[in-house]
Amino acid sequence: MISAFFIFNQKGEVLISRLYRTDFKRSIADVFRIQVVSNSDVRSPIITLGSTSFFHVRINNLYVVAVTKTNANAALVFEFCYRFISICKAYFGKVDEEAVKNNFVVIYELIDEINDFGYPQNSEIDTLKTYITTESIVSTNIAAEESSKITTQATGAISWRRADVRYKKNEAFVDVIENVNLSMSAKGNVLRADVDGHIQMRAYLTGTPECKFGLNDKLVIDKNDKGQSDAVELDDCRFHQCVSLAEFDADRTISFVPPDGEFELMRYRSTSNVKLPLRVIPSVTEVGTTQVQYTVIVKANFNNKLSATDVVIRIPTPLNTTTTECKAPTGKAKYVPAENVIIWKIARLQGGAECSIRATADLTRTTTRQVWARPPIDVDFQVLMFTASGLIVRFLKVFEKSNYQSVKWVRYLTKASGNYQIRF
Amino acid sequence: MATSMRGLTQFIADIRGARVKELEEKRINKEMANIRKKFKDGNLDGYQRKKYVAKIIFTYILGYKVDIGHMEAVNLIASPKYSEKQIGYLAVTLLMHENSDFLRLVVNSIRKDLDSNNEIDNCLALHAIANVGGSEMAEALVEDVHKLLISATSQSFVKKKAALTLLRLYRKHPEVIPAAEWALRLVSIMDDQDLGVVVCVTSLVMALAQDHLDAYAVCYTKAVDRLQRLVIEHEYSATYTYYKVPSPWLQVKLLRLLQYYPPTEDQTIRTILHQVLQTIMNNCAEPTRNVQHNNAQHAVLFEAIGLAIHLDTGSPLVSNAAVLLARFISSKETNVRYLGLDTLAHLAARADSLEPIKRHQNTIILSLRDKDISVRRRALDLLYSMCDIDNSELIVGELLRYLRVADYALREEMVLKIAILTEKYASSYKWYVDTILQLISTAGEHVGDEVWYRVVQIVTNTEDLQHYAAKVAFEHLKTPSTHESLVKVGGYILGEYGHLIANDPGYSPLEQFQLLHSKSQFCVAATRALLLSTYVKWVNVFPEIKPQLLNIFDRYRHVLDAELQQRACEYYTLASRPDEDDFLQNICEEMPPFPPRVSALLGSLNKKQGDTGDKRTWIHGGKEANLDRDATKRKTLNMNLTNDDNTSAPPSSTDDIISSLAGLNMTSTPTPSPANPLVSSSGDGSLHLSVAPNIDRWYEKLTYSGDGVLYEDVQIQIGLKSRYQGHIGQVAIYMGNKVDASLSSFTATVKVDDTEALSASFSKIPPNVIGPRSQSQQILQVECKKMFSTPPILTVSFLTGSHQTTSIRLPVVLTKFFEHVKLEAADFFERWKLIGNEREAQSIFPVNLTSSGQLDLNKYRAVISGHRLNVLDGIDPNPNNLVAAGVLHMSVEGKVGCLLRLEPNREAKLCRLTVRSTSGDVAKEVQKLIQKPIVAA
Repeated sequence: MISAFFIFNQKGEVLISRLYRTDFKRSIADVFRIQVVSNSDVRSPIITLGSTSFFHVRINNLYVVAVTKTNANAALVFEFCYRFISICKAYFGKVDEEAVKNNFVVIYELIDEINDFGYPQNSEIDTLKTYITTESIVSTNIAAEESSKITTQATGAISWRRADVRYKKNEAFVDVIENVNLSMSAKGNVLRADVDGHIQMRAYLTGTPECKFGLNDKLVIDKNDKGQSDAVELDDCRFHQCVSLAEFDADRTISFVPPDGEFELMRYRSTSNVKLPLRVIPSVTEVGTTQVQYTVIVKANFNNKLSATDVVIRIPTPLNTTTTECKAPTGKAKYVPAENVIIWKIARLQGGAECSIRATADLTRTTTRQVWARPPIDVDFQVLMFTASGLIVRFLKVFEKSNYQSVKWVRYLTKASGNYQIRF
Repeated sequence: MATSMRGLTQFIADIRGARVKELEEKRINKEMANIRKKFKDGNLDGYQRKKYVAKIIFTYILGYKVDIGHMEAVNLIASPKYSEKQIGYLAVTLLMHENSDFLRLVVNSIRKDLDSNNEIDNCLALHAIANVGGSEMAEALVEDVHKLLISATSQSFVKKKAALTLLRLYRKHPEVIPAAEWALRLVSIMDDQDLGVVVCVTSLVMALAQDHLDAYAVCYTKAVDRLQRLVIEHEYSATYTYYKVPSPWLQVKLLRLLQYYPPTEDQTIRTILHQVLQTIMNNCAEPTRNVQHNNAQHAVLFEAIGLAIHLDTGSPLVSNAAVLLARFISSKETNVRYLGLDTLAHLAARADSLEPIKRHQNTIILSLRDKDISVRRRALDLLYSMCDIDNSELIVGELLRYLRVADYALREEMVLKIAILTEKYASSYKWYVDTILQLISTAGEHVGDEVWYRVVQIVTNTEDLQHYAAKVAFEHLKTPSTHESLVKVGGYILGEYGHLIANDPGYSPLEQFQLLHSKSQFCVAATRALLLSTYVKWVNVFPEIKPQLLNIFDRYRHVLDAELQQRACEYYTLASRPDEDDFLQNICEEMPPFPPRVSALLGSLNKKQGDTGDKRTWIHGGKEANLDRDATKRKTLNMNLTNDDNTSAPPSSTDDIISSLAGLNMTSTPTPSPANPLVSSSGDGSLHLSVAPNIDRWYEKLTYSGDGVLYEDVQIQIGLKSRYQGHIGQVAIYMGNKVDASLSSFTATVKVDDTEALSASFSKIPPNVIGPRSQSQQILQVECKKMFSTPPILTVSFLTGSHQTTSIRLPVVLTKFFEHVKLEAADFFERWKLIGNEREAQSIFPVNLTSSGQLDLNKYRAVISGHRLNVLDGIDPNPNNLVAAGVLHMSVEGKVGCLLRLEPNREAKLCRLTVRSTSGDVAKEVQKLIQKPIVAA
């Protein structure tokens, strides 16, 4: 199992170092620094040197590293790393060098609590928060009482939820958030288009409610009433541990006892019938070796009532650009030499609308004549109340012993950040 | 300068301050875009251009790709301001690789800077050349660099840099430097006043001399002279002492340089060298506490010992050195131990007797367990070199024991060395077989194929050994884990000679078969194939196990490996033939002995010694190895010479031929560079005698007179005074400077064609400066050993602005070594007849009459007596005829008598000269010498 756990910063300095077993010395951190941090060729998240394996996850210029000497379950180790990151997010809001440095005591407490002799035990944020607090210490009486509760909860059937939750108003919020990834060839063919979605839920419900959740998942729809066209095919999905997988396997209903507060109910992926919200038509011509001319047209391919916000289009310029000239009737465009791109920002783009930009970039002569690699145009945007996969929440039912009424809210958001690319 | 460029400082500060790589990249992209814009817009002043190029350089150093700014850098070089030029040069050396097209644009600017009067510009240009060093650049600029080096007006530091630049160019592109042509001029700079210049030039000369030994031969005397002045006369400026050692770097280089040349014959130089080495060793007698002082001293000392060994291994110096070295190898300092062992290995490689080294054998063996691997390695080399027939068993045993624990890096080499030593110094074949098999079983994976091939060869060729070898191989195979090489040896030997031991208990055919076959499953296909052959041999000699063997062949007929399958099929058919068929028997005849072959082992050992940089002057191994190597080297040289004459094969192929002949792979042998040293030695001056009618006249006159002028021109006058006594002579040479400047880097050398017959050496090394309008006297000692006919050649070279070289014959001729003999008429005629006319040299030639129409008898008499023959009066009845006699003294061939008769005839204007001597050659030579001044002009 995990023998050691480290956090490194960008420069390879050790921020957190914890050894769970005696089969390593602290100097193993140097090995990682030399072999991985200082070696820019290494891209693999798992490096095995001799009998030692390093698993690392990069986040915000930090390396979260687990080291093992045994044939550990790699998926488990990575799950632990990602879980650690999400726990940190829950505790400090963000995970970066500064946060780690400011909260190193809590981090040591957390990882000691989660791992026993390198075996991850309880990593439920909700539970952890009950006894690893960032506030001042409560009195010993209460602490004793709490600690007995902790034991029952941690060993109980629903370790993620306390029994005594009370709310005046029972509410549940469901956010369906989708990330669209696209890469389109210069000829306009879609090379790859997929949706990375997750359903985020905030449950403020009294007692121990049992929820049932329904989507327009193709498998479910096809089983019930055939012939409906708006069903979505999900490639794979992953649920929060509160979801009863037995029931899902049996009749594909999603039923669960939600943890208190915010959690990620499920993650899914869809690759078929992806609706692309924005269509980009670039036309780029190189005039000799001294100039490049651009004409880029953007079309919004969705309902007129909706609109895309925060649209940012990055149009790459050659590395030897000296000056550019941009004419954008809608939005603002400017040349950013630090990234070698023209950034065109459109604050709001109504569904069905179309806008364009014309730009020229002047080039200088270079020593070695190199063909411009033509990196793709990158588009970032957000569209509210739209799902690229077409997924819709069909129902959310809450059952509780007291049979109270609850209010449910559903929101949809489709966004692209960094992976919506069009070649030219 | 740089500090005043605020933009640059800010840029660097920003980049240093960037917390993550992405920020740094952004900052750089932004800056580069800005620079591109500025360059595009043009109209930059020098300061801005310098600033932007500096930024580009910094970006480049950080590892980013930069493809602008080259043109600006080229422009900066041409700028008159130092700071801009400097940045320009920096950019050129960093941004442009040696084949960049932009370099063509730079070459002219660099040339201009080389020609500039400003030393700093010169230096910048030299730096750029040395750092970039492309072949095109080298070709274009090497002449200019050379000019800068030899120019009288160059400052010392420019000369230093120029010398080092040339060295760097030579190492990279040896073909661009006309090494032989520049030899004398370069060597003359070794006399520079500034020791720094001398160090640099010596480095250059050392590199060149390695490839052009003969052309640079003059440097020998120079080096000895410089060493003498440094070590004995303490002639150096205080700035060049390093911890009280006078310029150790220079000393080391000079000592090293001398090792590239064969030991000199010149007695004077030898004596001086001896003194120098003695002084160096004495200086090191008392160790000091100061580490740096010790280091410097040791550096010089080890080089000195190396030279002493090179000069003469029998000299007392070397025995002193051996004592010192013995102390060093047990020193506490790793470096000293290392050098001590290395030098001892040099000694072992050269010395006639290994006794002094053997005394410390135990210490050396202990060094094998030193904590430092490089020391262990040297100890191994030394043990290998010092091994001989007496201590071979001990050393090999020790090496074998050490092999078990040795580092992996060392093992392969050790195995080879053990194998070679065992073969070379085997006292008994038994021991040889034992050792080698033990070697194979201990270090199987490091044993190359050549080792076991060799075992098989030797066993096959030695009949007495076969029985024993088979037994030992069998025993070794019994150990549970055996290496493939051992299985191969075992398979071969048992297959061939298994029948010899089959009757001994425990070695029955079945047991042999079971043992060998139990190993086969762990072996690769090649070994299995060999085992199959063994089995078929056994089918022949051991009919009792034939069924088992047939079974195996049958099984192998179905394996996937084509080679195994084929063998199995063939052997199966062979073995299944009826018993009375003698086909199998014929095929499996015992192996005939291998033709004697030189061991391939040495070859693979030498292959491993690829030295870079300065070459070693010796190789590891005993004296013979080094002698072999020298012989081969010489042969290679000669071969090259003949090849060059008919311009056939390139030298490298000759080298291959040689190496294949010698059975040694001589890849490590220094091969001369394409510019052939022997051919180029014609540029050395010996064949370029200065020619002028005056010179001939002066020379001729001096052949029959002792004193006079030998040579004179506008700058120098050379006069002679000589005295001869028997076979010994002393010639005082007066060299007078006729100009108002001193002649610096003055060199005078005497070259004798046949050193066996005549020796000539200066009693001390000539001074290297002759002051204005002053004279320097040199005593030349000559000794006649045998008959000789070519006079020695004096080569004088010096610097007066430019470099001048003059070569002239010295009037040291055979007749100088004559002594008078007094003979009566009767005696004379008796001897004259006794010699008879078969050992006579006679000639008839025209003569001029004096203005009064008479024979110039006085001159004839003067010539003859000038040639040191006693003119005997009253012997010949004709008063005009001259009769003379003399005895030639030679230290080796002894005395030779000589009789002479000169019969001039006034009417015919002819003259007959007859010389008779006990040696016909002498007679001819004397006749030639005397005829020359008498014959009509």
